[in-house]
Amino acid sequence: MFIKNKKQSDVVTRKSLLSKCSLWVALTFTVLSPVQAKDDLPDVLRVCAAGNEMPYSNSKQQGFENDIAKAVANSMSLPMEFVWTEKNAIFLVTEQLMKNKCDVVIGVDSGDSRVLTSKPYYKSAYVFIYKADKGLHVKNWNSPDIKNMHKFAMVAGSPSEVMLREVGKFSENFNYQKSLSGYKSPRNKYIRLDPKMLVDEVLYGKADMAHLWAPEVARYVKATNGKLKMVAAPEFETLSDGQKVAGHYEQSVAVRLGDKTLLDAVNKGLQKAAPQIQKILNKEGIPLL
Amino acid sequence: MKIRTREKSRLTVATLAALLGSVVGLLASGSVFANKSLVELQKSEANWVMQGKNYSANHFSTSTQINKNNVKTLEPAWTFSTGVLSGHEGAPLVVGDMMFIHSPYPNNTFAVSLNEPGKIVWEHKPKQDSAARAVACCDVVNRGLAYWPGDKNTPAMIVKSQLDGNVVALNAETGKVYWEVETGDISVGQTQTAAPFVMNDLVVQGSSGAELGVRGYLTAFDMHTGEMVWRWYATGPDSEMGLDKSFNDANPHYGQKGLGIKTWEGDAWKIGGGTNWGWYAYDPDLNMFYYGSGNPAPWNETMRPGDNKWTMTIWGRDADTGLAKFGYQKTPHDEWDYAGVNVMMLSEQKDKNGKMRKLLTHPDRNGIVYTLDRETGDLVSANKMDETANWVKKVDLKTGLPIRDPEFSTSMGNRSHDVCPSAMGFHNQGMDSYDPNKQLFFLGINHLCMDWEPYMLPYRAGQFFVGANVWTYPGPKGDRQKGIGSGQVKAYNAITGKFAWEKMEKFAIWGGTTATAGDLVFYGTLDGFIKARDSDTGELLWKFKLPSGAVGHPMTYTHDGVQYLAINYGVGGWPAVGLVFDLSDPSAGLGAVGAFKELAHYTQMGGGLMVFSLDGISPYTKDVNLGEYEQ
Repeated sequence: MFIKNKKQSDVVTRKSLLSKCSLWVALTFTVLSPVQAKDDLPDVLRVCAAGNEMPYSNSKQQGFENDIAKAVANSMSLPMEFVWTEKNAIFLVTEQLMKNKCDVVIGVDSGDSRVLTSKPYYKSAYVFIYKADKGLHVKNWNSPDIKNMHKFAMVAGSPSEVMLREVGKFSENFNYQKSLSGYKSPRNKYIRLDPKMLVDEVLYGKADMAHLWAPEVARYVKATNGKLKMVAAPEFETLSDGQKVAGHYEQSVAVRLGDKTLLDAVNKGLQKAAPQIQKILNKEGIPLL
Repeated sequence: MKIRTREKSRLTVATLAALLGSVVGLLASGSVFANKSLVELQKSEANWVMQGKNYSANHFSTSTQINKNNVKTLEPAWTFSTGVLSGHEGAPLVVGDMMFIHSPYPNNTFAVSLNEPGKIVWEHKPKQDSAARAVACCDVVNRGLAYWPGDKNTPAMIVKSQLDGNVVALNAETGKVYWEVETGDISVGQTQTAAPFVMNDLVVQGSSGAELGVRGYLTAFDMHTGEMVWRWYATGPDSEMGLDKSFNDANPHYGQKGLGIKTWEGDAWKIGGGTNWGWYAYDPDLNMFYYGSGNPAPWNETMRPGDNKWTMTIWGRDADTGLAKFGYQKTPHDEWDYAGVNVMMLSEQKDKNGKMRKLLTHPDRNGIVYTLDRETGDLVSANKMDETANWVKKVDLKTGLPIRDPEFSTSMGNRSHDVCPSAMGFHNQGMDSYDPNKQLFFLGINHLCMDWEPYMLPYRAGQFFVGANVWTYPGPKGDRQKGIGSGQVKAYNAITGKFAWEKMEKFAIWGGTTATAGDLVFYGTLDGFIKARDSDTGELLWKFKLPSGAVGHPMTYTHDGVQYLAINYGVGGWPAVGLVFDLSDPSAGLGAVGAFKELAHYTQMGGGLMVFSLDGISPYTKDVNLGEYEQ
């Protein structure tokens, strides 16, 4: 089943992204929940979690989203358990949550139409990351310093890719970008780049700059003790054809479509746990908006 | 010290070309000179001057020294290792006393003496950007070389394509680079795997990378200089696709003007695919050439509503200007990745009404074998290569349209089951053969079906990933439990639509067939056999186990009175991508890994050439002292 009409905010961001990344119609698909909507809360809150997706989550529970899960469950007064998967977190919604293997996913874009999303519990940004001692000043993709840069660390299929194409640096960067994944072909296979490696690329001077989602890299940038500068991208960058590419995103907890009771409880729990969540995010070094 | 060489038959490539040139030169002059010379060269069974053997691409040799009565006595005569692993598609060329051998990436080329078989006369080893490997979709194959015989002022040349998008012309006698041009940019996903094709004094080269949103095109270069003569696209404005004023006048229902834009949503044609990495044929009388454009991009059909013209199209174009006289789209709005770049074989046959016609026969990825009048594009026949093809009920010969079975459509987020053929097609890059005496096409077939589930995964912060889950397995006639029975060989009559015979094979017949007047049809198999069948009955007469699986086609040539049979070995290409990259997830390689997991029990990687003759006779058996150190 396909839904073409989505919330306006989502359409702006994703459609512009898609159209610039060789995909032309913003589509998301909705799979009906395989189980009936529940009126009662579960006895145990089953949290869908990736076993190897740092800094978000790992099976040793060292990710900041592991901490957020515990804080929320605690404020909901529910015992919780992690349901681990060895697959990348990009598959959590379709292969775990939708198949009823677990009940909540911590950390999806607010308004993701495949699921019900909670009220946003934080908002952050894509960030420009570059060496602090080079006298560079980058605030957006029009910053003059970018003209002299050649190698950019970024994630394929992200707003960074759209902007790299827009400023005419994509082709020049292609070989370098491919080297980051060991020249593996992405055809039909999701390849996650290790965010710490991406930060190190800048730290050791292999990349001139990185453009990445702040929560994914904040702890690694923080660990450089000021050697790297991290500057939040603006809310939108405007492309030459007038389309806008979002730089800021709100994050939510996801439950299955129909799990309204659980969603309400999650929203209350998030509200109650707000101070702890704030602490977790601050410790991580994530710029909050 | 002196290397001993045979004194007789010292006809080199250059002298042969010069000889022919002097004969032909009296009759013709100017631009047709080289073309005629190539026509003459391909008439001789001493040569194999292009991948299709001749302009008709019929892969048929009139040689009868090896025939069905003595084929059992074929033995290895000599061998050659390319020093490269990965899939060895295509076949070597033979011109006079020289054999030209190519390899997959890094695309090395060797000129080898046939008087002292295996002796390397020259080699060309290009340096390429390793990023090219990352852009190649399915192993780093190359489908072979082309030969241009030269003229008064310009030497004969070997033309090669490199994975990094360059086309290079080498002096056929010395191996020195004569010119080099870039036809594709790997930074936007364009690579080269197809063999160049020489006609007249032009060489044409296609494009690949539709999966990465490339807009397919075909480019012609002047053989003398490497300068671009024309470039025509598969999508977009008529002026950029090179449509002749009379385009499809004979069959207006195929569609005529403005459709390269109108059949797409918005600007989607700009990244619409339709690349062509397959084969060509040429009719010197009509001065038209033929090829197929491939699948539209992106794969997920929901993202590109419309017919997506002119992807998936059989093109008939003028050989000088490249302008299209006709275009027939086989699979409008493709949903299965049935890229239509397969071999085009030309024949002259009487149709059902007894009228002699110039025909073109094309076994397509989509499971239909099409036969067209190659002058007008009229559809003469369109039959299922195997009755198990199920996405289509039949092709309406009047409208040219496939009548689809909606049960086997695909759409985002849905898993379609038992779709036949699989994305690999019932027929893929194999070069097949046509015996004009028997009026039979010998088709090497993949008997493969699939489950297909396209998806787009949004991730956090506006990131997303587009992919598909694909499970590929043998078709209904194979053994799905054991994962074998995924291939067929068939003898097909394009006029009656009947099959003279058909045989099941353990694995897909990927490389294609070669037929001879010795009542034989030869082919290689993925598990590493070269086989000979009786072309009248299909009876298996001979086979030999190669060092590694074969994904190229056999070729044959006669040298010093001996008929040889040669084939590349080196398993790889799409079907063996699991072996090449050591993949185990069954849906990896677009389902190829699961479909061919049994292959690992039969073969491992390799790379080289094996040459056979009756009783293994060769220059070395004729004279054991050949090539010895002379006291």
